[in-house]
Amino acid sequence: MTNPVDPALASSLSAPASEVPAQQRQSEAPSNPSQPQPSKESGKPKKEKKEAKPKDTKDATPATDGPEKLTGAELKKRAKAEKAARRAKEKSDREAGGAPAPAGGPAGGGSGAGAGGAGQPATPKKGQPAGGSGAGGDKGRGLPRRPSGQASGQPSAAEQKKKAEEKNVAVFGHLYGQQRRATVAGAGKEVHPAVLALGLQMRDYVICGSSARCVATLLAFKRVIEAYATPLGTSLSRHLTTHLSHQITYLSTCRPLSISQGNAIRALKLAIASIDPSVPEADAKGTLCEFIDSFIREKITVADQVVAGSAAQKIQDGDVIVTFAGSSLVKQTLLSAHKQGKKFRVSIIDSRPLFEGKNLARSLAKAGLDVQYSLMNGISHAIKDATKVFLGAHAMTSNGRLYSRVGTALVAMSAKERAGGVEVPVIVCCETVKFTDRVALDSIVVNEIADADEMVTTQPPQQVTGLPDPAAAAAAAAAESSSDNKKKASKTPVPPTNASSLEPNPALKHAPSPLKDWRDTPNLQLLNLMYDVTPAEYVDMVVTEMGSLPPSAVPIVHRMSTSL
Amino acid sequence: MPSTSLALTPGLASFLKSLKTNQIDTSIDNLISLLKRRQIRHSRSCATATAYLLLRVISACRTTDAVKLIERVQSVGRRLVAAQPREMVVGNIVRRVLGLIRDEAEDDREADFNLSEAGSESQPQTPRVPDDASDVPSTRLDGSTARTSLTSMFSLLSHPEPEPSLPGTPSSASPSGRVPGPSKDIRAEVMEGINEIIDELGQVDDQISAYALDHIHSNEIILTHTSSTTVQKFLLKAAAKRRFTVIIAESFPNNHEATHSTVSGASANDEETLSTESFQKPLIAMGITVILIPDSAVFALMSRVNKVILGTHSVLANGGLVAAAGTRVIARAAKVHQTPVVVVSGVYKLSPVYPFDFESLIEYGDASKVIGYEDGDLVDQIDVQNPLYDYVPAELVDLYITNLGGHAPSYLYRIVSDHYRKEDIHF
Repeated sequence: MTNPVDPALASSLSAPASEVPAQQRQSEAPSNPSQPQPSKESGKPKKEKKEAKPKDTKDATPATDGPEKLTGAELKKRAKAEKAARRAKEKSDREAGGAPAPAGGPAGGGSGAGAGGAGQPATPKKGQPAGGSGAGGDKGRGLPRRPSGQASGQPSAAEQKKKAEEKNVAVFGHLYGQQRRATVAGAGKEVHPAVLALGLQMRDYVICGSSARCVATLLAFKRVIEAYATPLGTSLSRHLTTHLSHQITYLSTCRPLSISQGNAIRALKLAIASIDPSVPEADAKGTLCEFIDSFIREKITVADQVVAGSAAQKIQDGDVIVTFAGSSLVKQTLLSAHKQGKKFRVSIIDSRPLFEGKNLARSLAKAGLDVQYSLMNGISHAIKDATKVFLGAHAMTSNGRLYSRVGTALVAMSAKERAGGVEVPVIVCCETVKFTDRVALDSIVVNEIADADEMVTTQPPQQVTGLPDPAAAAAAAAAESSSDNKKKASKTPVPPTNASSLEPNPALKHAPSPLKDWRDTPNLQLLNLMYDVTPAEYVDMVVTEMGSLPPSAVPIVHRMSTSL
Repeated sequence: MPSTSLALTPGLASFLKSLKTNQIDTSIDNLISLLKRRQIRHSRSCATATAYLLLRVISACRTTDAVKLIERVQSVGRRLVAAQPREMVVGNIVRRVLGLIRDEAEDDREADFNLSEAGSESQPQTPRVPDDASDVPSTRLDGSTARTSLTSMFSLLSHPEPEPSLPGTPSSASPSGRVPGPSKDIRAEVMEGINEIIDELGQVDDQISAYALDHIHSNEIILTHTSSTTVQKFLLKAAAKRRFTVIIAESFPNNHEATHSTVSGASANDEETLSTESFQKPLIAMGITVILIPDSAVFALMSRVNKVILGTHSVLANGGLVAAAGTRVIARAAKVHQTPVVVVSGVYKLSPVYPFDFESLIEYGDASKVIGYEDGDLVDQIDVQNPLYDYVPAELVDLYITNLGGHAPSYLYRIVSDHYRKEDIHF
């Protein structure tokens, strides 16, 4: 963040030479406290690049400063022209559908980003050295920022964009900003491989759930820190934060960060900032890794155990517990209650398109619990004989509302509005790391929109299993047996089998989903929300590692836990 | 090959086709098994099949004795209802036919009474003694208009013309008007009444949609659930005049495919929907923005919704309704957000049953739709539930729109008593 200077410096450097000059440059500009950047920083996050686009003129200006060192106004002009050409190229590339030019991959992205970054006032630090490389070395290379983002391989970008916007639900227009990244292509080269992988895992819901994402992020950052070497001329406490923020930016383009991730990152940055610059790098890194480990242990691992332990005490023999989707904490709670020998039944309500409850059902059933499973349409039936509702949380907001997987609010509401009269207590299991000082009134202002294509119906079972449909199999068997009876060669029955298995399928089972072409169907929109906000009055109790609280206590606990 | 196999699939169409050729008892058994196997399932299909079957039953009955007719219809009706007690429209149609017969019989009795008063004979129990051919039809007609105004609104429209002419020229009208002489039998009248019911079933959605503009204003955001033809027609009618946005919850395991194809206008491969509805334009073709959401997102969006419009499976006399599973939470969420809930339903779905045991109204469906075969290992270990219907209590509904107009839920009992006779409620 520190160096406002560098755009100028940066622009002067040519890409291949960047490493050496960078150091020179550092020495040249010692007055500036800012960290001189190692060449690895040069590939900057694509995001900046994007924003840079409208700022052509600004970009050009800083560029002018640079060249004077090397040559004169002539060079300046040339740089300008080059830049213009590059931008034009870039634009046309983008319009061409964003398929990255092979060479353009990470390197092109990096350099381009650098150029953009240089011009960007908001985040000057990021752009610095990168800017140099970009301005100098780049000869009109196409830099595909996010290939998959806006354009999925179709002709005109403008048209494409307009089309995409038509598919955005108007009310949620503000949430469509961040398209999820499709590949690692275009990621800055300072992004650690562990983080690259994590990003994709989070995007694909391989790592899903607020705590899991938080732990995985911290572990990945631990590896980042272990692999980190403080560049010359700066101190770890100053530069590591910047380095991490690249990782964070990358992660957030894969999937918006969860509240718990945000809290953990904030704590980590605080820990980094509080490191004395005089401490040797190895010690500092050791301290940080230690901090991460203890954060995970205290805020999540042990906290989970405490929460599960105290929530399990709320379960009594004969209870019917209703839960929604697949909270890891609720799972832990139920399993520990089961281990204590309590006899109770669990009713899991699940929803499209993630079906997180299936995994919960599977692991509970394996542990020997009595599990009932239904989808959203069965809520009112499942809730009828419920005695308690346990819910997981993505976050608890400061106004006591529960921010959790979409559908949670319906479950909580059903528990509170049962026609029979008796209300079912709704208990939320939540570590304090998920508390936030944000407030939410509805589920529209703050939310996350997942890819709507997830809602297009899944494959028919046959395709999954690869088995022919029963009728075809029967026909085949019949053909086979008849052929056997006749002592014919076994080859004759084969062709009919194939024919029969192919024919009925298209008609009966393999009919493509009617939504297949939804993106080309005017006026049709699909909305795949991730979260909803449950009013505080539906929540009776929040079980945290600091005790069981009413939802109104959330802001107090949050203040306590963050000020510690 | 696919086309032939589809044509052979038992369903409403095949049943109606076979009805003409088959023996009456075969047809009854046929419908019973179709109902039992749920090969006829939507309310309207069940109602239509029942009405056509009863039409056949009446016409095959070689008696003109109302009591015997009633007995016959009752016995058929009992078997049908026993075959699928949760398909309440079957019972409703049977009750209406019984009501028709009773009305006819009463009219006849009145006629007889008039005759006997006039001094000809005293044969009060035999319903038809058409001594005076001219007198009987006219009184009967008077009675029938009074009766039909109760059974069906649109007999109001269809009947009035013959009435004035007949009494005026009794001698000329009686031979030409209807089956004359001794064979004048209440069967013809009843069959005519049944045909009216069938007509009503065909037109009910259009009649309901006529009220659409009274309920939908411009720029409204309307939430609905599953793919009800009635709701679609209702919205389409309004779409012709007004711009609004429709949010559709897909009702996942049981009806999402139909919902998807309704929404996208892509042809459904379901033979049942391959009737007139499949030629209907989808809402999106009318320039209406349609947003498809998973069922779970209903609460999140409810704060933006102006009105919830729901279809239903059947309506109960207390104003509650039995509708596709998931409807109840939607209605509940609407209540919480103070959003009005409107239920559109034909009068034929209105059942005189007061629900005491809600559980008995709920049908459970195929669990493999919830947990597919690819998760077969789970099926052994867990109890998978797939309810098809929800009971929605009356207090969650703000307005019913039927083909007779809009009603408060508390008014429904009155419509019930207009349509069904007390003695038929438990036939």
